[in-house]
Amino acid sequence: MTRRFLIALVLASNLATGGLSAERPLLPPATSREIDFVRDIQPIFRARCLSCHDGAKQRGGLRLDLKSAAFKGGETFAPAIIPGKSADSPLVRLVAGLEEGLQMPPEGERLSSEQVGLLRAWIDQGAKWPDEVAGKEDAELHWSFRPVKRPALPSVSRETAAGLRNPVDAFVALRLEEPLALALSPQSRGEGTEGRIVPSAEADRMTLLRRLSFDLVGLPPTPDEVAEFVADARPDAYERLVDRLLASPHFGERWARHWLDVVRFAESDGFETNQPRPNAWPYRDYVIRTFNDDKPFMQFVTEQLAGDMIGVDEATGFIVGGTYDRVKSPDPGLTAQQRADELHDMVSTTGSAFLGLTVGCARCHNHKFDPISQVDYYAMKAVFAGVQHGERPLTQIKPDQHREQLTRVKAELDEIERALWTFEPLARLQPGDSMRPAVQRRTNIDRFAPTRAKFVRFTIDETNGGSQPCLDEVEFFTTEAKPRNVALATHGTKVTSSSDLPGHEIHQLKHVNDGRYGNSASWISNEPGRGWVLFELPEAVEIDRVLWSRDRPADGKFGDRVATKYRLEIGMTAESLHVVATADDRQTFGSAVAPQPARATSNEQDQAEANRLLARQVSLNETLRQLTTLPQVYAGRFVVPEPTHRFHRGDPLQPKEPVAPASLASFGPAWQMPLDAPDASRRQQLAQWITDPQHPLTARVLVNRFWHSHFGQGLVTTPSDFGRNGAMPSHPELLDWLAMELASPKSLHRLIVTSATYRQNSAARADAMQADAGTRLLWRYPPRRLEAEPLRDAILTVCGNLDDRMGGPGFDLFEPNTNYVKVYNSKREFGPADWRRMVYQAKPRMQLDDVFGQFDCPDAGQITPKRTSSITALQALNLLNSRFIVQQSSLFASRLEREAGPDVIAQVRRAYSLAFLRLPTDDEQIAATRFVNDHGLTALCRALLNANEFLFVF
Amino acid sequence: MSPLSITGQSLLARRDFMFDASRGLSGLALASLLAGDGQLRASDDAKRPIRPSVRPDAPLAARESHFTPKASRVVMIFCTGACSQLETWDYKPELVKRSGQPLPGNEKLVTFQGENGNLVAPQWEFKPRGESGKMISELVPNLAALADEMCFIHSMTAKSNTHGPAENQMSTGFTLDGFPSIGAWVSYALGSDASDLPSFVAIPDPRGVPQAASNNWNSAFLPAVFQGTPFNADKPIANLTRPPEISAPTEAATRDFLKRLNARHLELHPGDTDLAARIASYELAAKLQLRAAEVSDLSGESLETQTLYGLHDANKTKAGFGRNCLLARRLLERGVRFVQLFNGAYAMGEGVGNWDGHKTLKAQYEVHGPILDQPAAALLRDLKRTGLLEDTLVVWVTEFGRMPTFQKGASGRDHNPKGFTAWLAGAGVKRAFSYGATDDFGHTAVEKVSTIYDLHATILHLLGLDHERLSVYHNGIERRLTDVHGHVLHDVLS
Repeated sequence: MTRRFLIALVLASNLATGGLSAERPLLPPATSREIDFVRDIQPIFRARCLSCHDGAKQRGGLRLDLKSAAFKGGETFAPAIIPGKSADSPLVRLVAGLEEGLQMPPEGERLSSEQVGLLRAWIDQGAKWPDEVAGKEDAELHWSFRPVKRPALPSVSRETAAGLRNPVDAFVALRLEEPLALALSPQSRGEGTEGRIVPSAEADRMTLLRRLSFDLVGLPPTPDEVAEFVADARPDAYERLVDRLLASPHFGERWARHWLDVVRFAESDGFETNQPRPNAWPYRDYVIRTFNDDKPFMQFVTEQLAGDMIGVDEATGFIVGGTYDRVKSPDPGLTAQQRADELHDMVSTTGSAFLGLTVGCARCHNHKFDPISQVDYYAMKAVFAGVQHGERPLTQIKPDQHREQLTRVKAELDEIERALWTFEPLARLQPGDSMRPAVQRRTNIDRFAPTRAKFVRFTIDETNGGSQPCLDEVEFFTTEAKPRNVALATHGTKVTSSSDLPGHEIHQLKHVNDGRYGNSASWISNEPGRGWVLFELPEAVEIDRVLWSRDRPADGKFGDRVATKYRLEIGMTAESLHVVATADDRQTFGSAVAPQPARATSNEQDQAEANRLLARQVSLNETLRQLTTLPQVYAGRFVVPEPTHRFHRGDPLQPKEPVAPASLASFGPAWQMPLDAPDASRRQQLAQWITDPQHPLTARVLVNRFWHSHFGQGLVTTPSDFGRNGAMPSHPELLDWLAMELASPKSLHRLIVTSATYRQNSAARADAMQADAGTRLLWRYPPRRLEAEPLRDAILTVCGNLDDRMGGPGFDLFEPNTNYVKVYNSKREFGPADWRRMVYQAKPRMQLDDVFGQFDCPDAGQITPKRTSSITALQALNLLNSRFIVQQSSLFASRLEREAGPDVIAQVRRAYSLAFLRLPTDDEQIAATRFVNDHGLTALCRALLNANEFLFVF
Repeated sequence: MSPLSITGQSLLARRDFMFDASRGLSGLALASLLAGDGQLRASDDAKRPIRPSVRPDAPLAARESHFTPKASRVVMIFCTGACSQLETWDYKPELVKRSGQPLPGNEKLVTFQGENGNLVAPQWEFKPRGESGKMISELVPNLAALADEMCFIHSMTAKSNTHGPAENQMSTGFTLDGFPSIGAWVSYALGSDASDLPSFVAIPDPRGVPQAASNNWNSAFLPAVFQGTPFNADKPIANLTRPPEISAPTEAATRDFLKRLNARHLELHPGDTDLAARIASYELAAKLQLRAAEVSDLSGESLETQTLYGLHDANKTKAGFGRNCLLARRLLERGVRFVQLFNGAYAMGEGVGNWDGHKTLKAQYEVHGPILDQPAAALLRDLKRTGLLEDTLVVWVTEFGRMPTFQKGASGRDHNPKGFTAWLAGAGVKRAFSYGATDDFGHTAVEKVSTIYDLHATILHLLGLDHERLSVYHNGIERRLTDVHGHVLHDVLS
């Protein structure tokens, strides 16, 4: 006999014989206070009942996770709960052990008398179960809370079927055939949708290539790639292209940025101090790697919540990616509020990023729309109670493992740098055809004919910005086989100056020849824009080069106070100096300094040697980076969890009952942990729950994010809210079908972008616009303005300057300063170090870049599941007038001259090929040639970079 | 900024755009963001959220308010660092009387920087002002002379006692980072009548930006077009002017060439209004270049006006703030919807460049008082005499107040979010009126306790906007400036 029938029989007989009344004295008394279901009852159900009586499993046909089902009762007896009559309610009798052989729960500890008392009091007081926490109702369950089921492929008409490439298209076609069936919100549904909309034809090859490139790798294709793809007659040319792009390491860079928006990643604290987090970047690199490695998404989730347990330390940067208020105070109220806000950020971001649920809404009260109770919120908060903001060492790396190697690498790098100097052009005292490279913050070299000298004077006549000049080091070298720096004080050389800035230990005259580089060991004059230093050697020697810099280290940040006009004089006495080098034959300050081979000698043998050295330098620098950028990472510190209490109305000064870590009661398989569970196991348990294949939300939310990024809007247009207040899916079956295909993210991308739906052209057909202006039915590929990052990356690419080096610390678009409240002043000059992809910008929170911030870059104060897309006059001004654009336009022009030669017609053709991936029409060619002849090539470049054709993806 | 220029309009017309904004253009994310997201849920229509209908081609065009407004524009003077109510507007004879004694019932009170000493009388004398006889301190004599114009709210309270979060709250309604500023909300709701200027301008202090910096004027999850454009009389809009290496003829030719590039492109891609919107944005940019230069050029103002604002004062910072005040008036009279005028900056550290008088309040306020007083008073006078005050709302705020005690071992006051003063003047508010009160020592608001939500609700109300309905969908919530709080302070309305 099954257990179920046994229960039924016994209960029936007891009720029939009045057996119950005889047992009453054993029933614990009802608690006398007023009962709150969420606070008092739900935790008991969750901890002791739901493992056998929830959506996944219904022993005896009873469910206690749904209000309606619970009141209905089990299969063999009903109701189980009789409001007002606790002693008669089977639920109470079974948990109280009044029925021999029918103890509930059947195993493990019995419910305590207090717990039974609470249940009794609840039932006696009317068994009030608030509707907000009624649980998921299967019949009218919100669509996203229902289990994901693989839908059958729809059948479509034969003519439609001919245009399909894969199942994605079938689902899209179905909706196009019956547009009125759509559960779209009224705002996005046009009027007059009676007629069926036909899908658009496939876009041309160039359009497809450009679309795919921006979509998958975030960069424009090259003209060669266009030619190759257009000419590729193989039937699977498109699929091959998709595979190539998915395999590119730039894929991860593009798609990581989407995820970083969703998780409000930034590299500073936010709030008023907004101090940088110099070791937050490993999380960004981790996300890039994840996408490139095609890591299963569920593993990605687990690592971000509990990576410290499985050897992926930096992944937990996710948890602490949000704001942190560094301003601490002895005021206990403030301290409690700050901590509550930190944890709130972790809870809300976790809920929205993975589950598409606005869990954060239940901080002060039960969720208004979704079945998330206030207790649920605090149960999830308890999961993070052991997480503190801050850095921790990467456990995978042994700090002094590579010290010896480090010394060796640095020594070789020094040697190479010196060797490379010998390829520098000689200084001339007049400007000429080929100018020497512009002065820069780092090492500047002035070579001249070997000359005997006892005195060397470096005179500054102008600085960028006009403030007092700064030199961190001046060196001059002998002509010996092994050149020696004889400027060093340790060599006996004395130094005097025109004036010294008073009051700064780090800025002293002695630092100018102390052999130490960098701003913190430098000399600054006390005269705005001018000053000199004079060196007297102990005896005259033959020298042939002077090296000087303002802030020499590669990671130096100070680009102000640079000597932009200067004179270098040498001689045997201080009175008989003669000029050997000036800035007159250098390019204008701020011009790009070309990489060394371009300025090296024309001698072929030397060129080869220079190239060899440069290649070695690049590889050693990479080794150096890997050796030195260790080992702390801003990925949170894990401590013994503090107790978690429900806060009355969210107020940390009104703590109520303790809350244990647990799942959200109404989603997925329920679990609860003891109040004192250790930190890591809490996070692991949460990860396990989120990634459980039974969880209805996780996969749907993720595939929708993919779709959102491919098409500019998701199948659900509220990507971080799948709750009742979010949007309904435009193609629910498609969403579910994709959710079942999630095992390999790259295969999913491939499926989407190889669909006929994705390959449609973008023409805004009047008939279809009338019916569906928002393109939710996907009758075309919706065109988009480039977002800030691919726009900046595309400009750098087309102008020939993109540094596509991956990973490591980001570049800074702001001037350095060390104020307690960090002041963000945008850089005025940009150099090659700033020409990496924008995903590698050391991104401060709340502070947007002067040029590209206007293009709706997220500020990372809150999560950005979906970017806005403004078009503003300030964007236009930035793209026309910023130093960045002016500089890139000029470098673009240089590139054209280099690649197309002096012929303007050829230059114009090359310009259009690079920027627009097509040749100019005859009319355009004539107009552009005339424009270049009248106003120069740079002007054309500036115009092209501002064109709609450059900024929009079709 | 204005709708499309004639060229822009003809571009649009030629392309036979068949949809108007109310039906949803093919404009991309902007239109759909504002209209299509999420479910507009509300039980009855009277409380239904209102998301303004924004034209993608002219996002800053003037829009209808919810009901007839009293004020057409707002200037918010924000004294950052927490300006002491006790040294300025909140007269407490009992504090003078009991100076040197402990704050009753709060002997062990720990505030932001720690323990507190005894009560300390205001560092400046208070005198009756104007016909109303309102008691205001000698720290701000010029502003005090305008007491009859002002409507004081003495019972303000803030949610945080830390500058960053509290500035966030005063400017965005939320203590957390990442919410749209009040100016951005107003731009979003109403657009602007300024045909070729931003609808929301933030004017940072000559000494630098406030503690919470651009949080004060960011658009957060509202589209970037609504964010405040930061510039002041000495530091123009970033990237406003033609780069020096580009000649005027080349610039004109480049604009022309670009226009032709875009026109050709538009012909190949008819029907997508974002393309036309971008073309229009370049025309607006050109106008903005002219107009921003014109509005920032104070040389045409009479010597009398310049002197009124203190432009020729020997105190360079005061003259700088004076220029910013005059710039504010010029922006307002050209139709800019919301001007946020900052007094105080943080780059120099605690209390040095702002009102954060923890340690040496007297000495620091002796510096800050004169910088604020004459120029701000000049702005108010000037608005009045030009008639602008009729439909301009002036709001004076600071992020929180200061303690009636001095900090233990120091000669300054600690942070106090429990009671402080803000004042309003101009369109739609009572003159010579005081609302709410703090206790006898000016410590805690006790009468008609008001919140920053209430202040924001009132500002929106004066602009003809229902703070409970003006909303934008973001991540599951119809977000409002006032979150789920706020009551219009009807008593202060005229």
